[in-house]
Amino acid sequence: MNSTVSYQEALDNYQANHELPLPEAELSMDELLKQFHPDHYQDSLTTLEIGPNKGGRCHRQLADVLQADALIDEADLAAANVTETDILVIGGGGAGAAAALTAARKGARVILATKLRLGDSNTIMAEGGIQASVDREDSPQAHYQDTMKAGHYQSDRDLVAEMALDGPDVIRWLIQQGMNFDLNEFGDLMTRRPGGATADRVVYYRDYTGLEMMRVLREAVRNCRNITVVDNAPALELLGNESGHCAGAVFYSTTKHLFSIIKAQQVIMATGGIGRMHLNNFPTTNHFGATGDGLVMAYRLGAKLRELDSFQYHPTTVAYPEHLSGSLITEGVRSSGVYLLNAYGERFVDELKPRDQVSAAILRECQEGRGIRVSDQQAGVWLDTPGMELREPGLLEKRFPKLFHMAGRADIDPRTTPMLVYPGLHYQNGGVMIDKFGKTTVPGLYCVGELSGGIHGRNRIMGNALLEIISFGRRAGEDAANYVHGRGHKKTSIEHVSNIRREIVKAGLSMRKKSPLLFPKCAGFVLENEKY
Amino acid sequence: MIESPKDTQVEVTINGKKIVAPASLSAIQAVWHAGYSRVEGVGCLEGVCGSCSVMVRRQDDKEVNTELGCQTFIEEGMEIIFLGFPTPTHQTYQLADIQTSWDVQGQFHQIFPEAGNCRACGGCNRSCPKGIEVENGVRLATKGKFREAGDLFVECVMCNLCMTNCPERIAPNHVGLFSRRVNAYFHIRPSNLINRLEQIRQGKLTVNKI
Repeated sequence: MNSTVSYQEALDNYQANHELPLPEAELSMDELLKQFHPDHYQDSLTTLEIGPNKGGRCHRQLADVLQADALIDEADLAAANVTETDILVIGGGGAGAAAALTAARKGARVILATKLRLGDSNTIMAEGGIQASVDREDSPQAHYQDTMKAGHYQSDRDLVAEMALDGPDVIRWLIQQGMNFDLNEFGDLMTRRPGGATADRVVYYRDYTGLEMMRVLREAVRNCRNITVVDNAPALELLGNESGHCAGAVFYSTTKHLFSIIKAQQVIMATGGIGRMHLNNFPTTNHFGATGDGLVMAYRLGAKLRELDSFQYHPTTVAYPEHLSGSLITEGVRSSGVYLLNAYGERFVDELKPRDQVSAAILRECQEGRGIRVSDQQAGVWLDTPGMELREPGLLEKRFPKLFHMAGRADIDPRTTPMLVYPGLHYQNGGVMIDKFGKTTVPGLYCVGELSGGIHGRNRIMGNALLEIISFGRRAGEDAANYVHGRGHKKTSIEHVSNIRREIVKAGLSMRKKSPLLFPKCAGFVLENEKY
Repeated sequence: MIESPKDTQVEVTINGKKIVAPASLSAIQAVWHAGYSRVEGVGCLEGVCGSCSVMVRRQDDKEVNTELGCQTFIEEGMEIIFLGFPTPTHQTYQLADIQTSWDVQGQFHQIFPEAGNCRACGGCNRSCPKGIEVENGVRLATKGKFREAGDLFVECVMCNLCMTNCPERIAPNHVGLFSRRVNAYFHIRPSNLINRLEQIRQGKLTVNKI
């Protein structure tokens, strides 16, 4: 880090101001992204050598797990317990819960298996809110256009249109599950503007939108008669039948240390993203379980992926103190009008630009010496909450209880002291290619939520993740339930894993790495069959 | 580099094992730091998923507190035990089974028959890592004041510690969540949302995929 002004110096020089002008941008936004966004770092990209995306671009760290050896082979499954169900949902976040509830209410028998505990997910950590065009000045058309533009027009038009039109009904569905939203004096939904949008479109519950959503969905799932929840069971590999149809999955119990097989007529994967892979060594806002397992399993069974070189770095994660590093500060804080300031107390970017541009601008300040230095490895910029307090006293504390709770853990009062922020790895923009029902290119396999790709193009706009998980979760659950028939698959196996191994060897790639990762390295987790 | 008193090494006992680690670490990080594997009961690492409940006793303190392992920084002489998952609740209900909002209070007492047995022991309040007035919430819910009760549980992360601590097996966190859910289910009717849904239903709003 080239930043020269130390934290203490910058803090001593800091002064809260009512209004500050926005200087004219020196670089075009395109140029800014090309020079400073991590997606454009040299050496971070490679070309895939095996699988459905052979020849396609991919982040190097992701390619390492997509082209790695499997954790298990047929012999490990000899004594595995076998269960059968109509629909298997893998993943216990918002997308998995919405899919499971929808399928079960259509009469399907559902097993929802999750790596940790039902609800332990990125959903529960989402703060800012969920997009739905309910404002009088707004429309699904504007929602569509804002999403396309923020994603640099790389999104699948059909998926975005379906999602934008789903928005209002998703909010109704959530209220029907018992989720609360912030309302104005007339009982109308309050809205705020996401960075990069043309209207106030994010509805929310304080800065606990995800927590409120997930605890309600978890309660609904636990009380649903047709759903069996299996906690502490990471999926290791999908099962295929003789005609390449997905037919279930292999699991490992982290409490019993045993393998098990769940056979299903349709499989819906909703395993989330890749934050804990710490791409380009960035800190992450993501949940403990976000290790990209779903991408690996789907790829091995033949599902085509997209935008594997595009990730979102959230502009405002805590840079100091160190023990809170990577903790998210919701974009809602910026949309309510808080500035970003460099070491000299100057604004340097329109804070309400899309996330990729704001992050690139922060990285630029830090690289060009205008950041605030914490250590040789860490710098950041100010999130000017005290200025906001001057402009609208009391608003911050009322709207952002979680921010105050977190700042309190660092002995910082955000009303008088700015917090130091730096971009953190936040979201996987691409993922498994799907159609409007969440179907992948593999029959019988649906992928929904962050795992899927195509909705956000090359950059996601705030509030579209929570919308996507419910919109497409419900679509997949509904569609999968239509394809449940009397009989299950006859023959199932993990034969596709042997094919992948052959491809790896033929391509001259290393067999030393194994995947899926299941847990971050720091947790020291090893499968029973790998120990000896 | 900023010097922080949290960089000093401290000795703690976690699940019966002596661990020496920097004081800047949380209980979970300290376990990993010492080379032990731990994945059960780990979740968001930000204090909102409620997975990592622990019992904590501080040096020279008789009191045993319940906290969240990711939010508890280790201190010299601290004893920490990770709690297993409590058994799931025995109540079950579907919001759709409650016909009208006039029936909510009656249904509540059928779903949570124990709630009226609260003996005001304060165990739930003491166990709550979020400082929620749990007992008061249960009392309000039994009187049918679901909105007031639910408002007390805004910060609840469903860690189930209050449930574990209740001698009457009331499941206070589920009482709180029930209160919040019935409020939304029966009383949130935003006119801006309803108007927009109606426009979409009538086909007045479509998306031109430009």
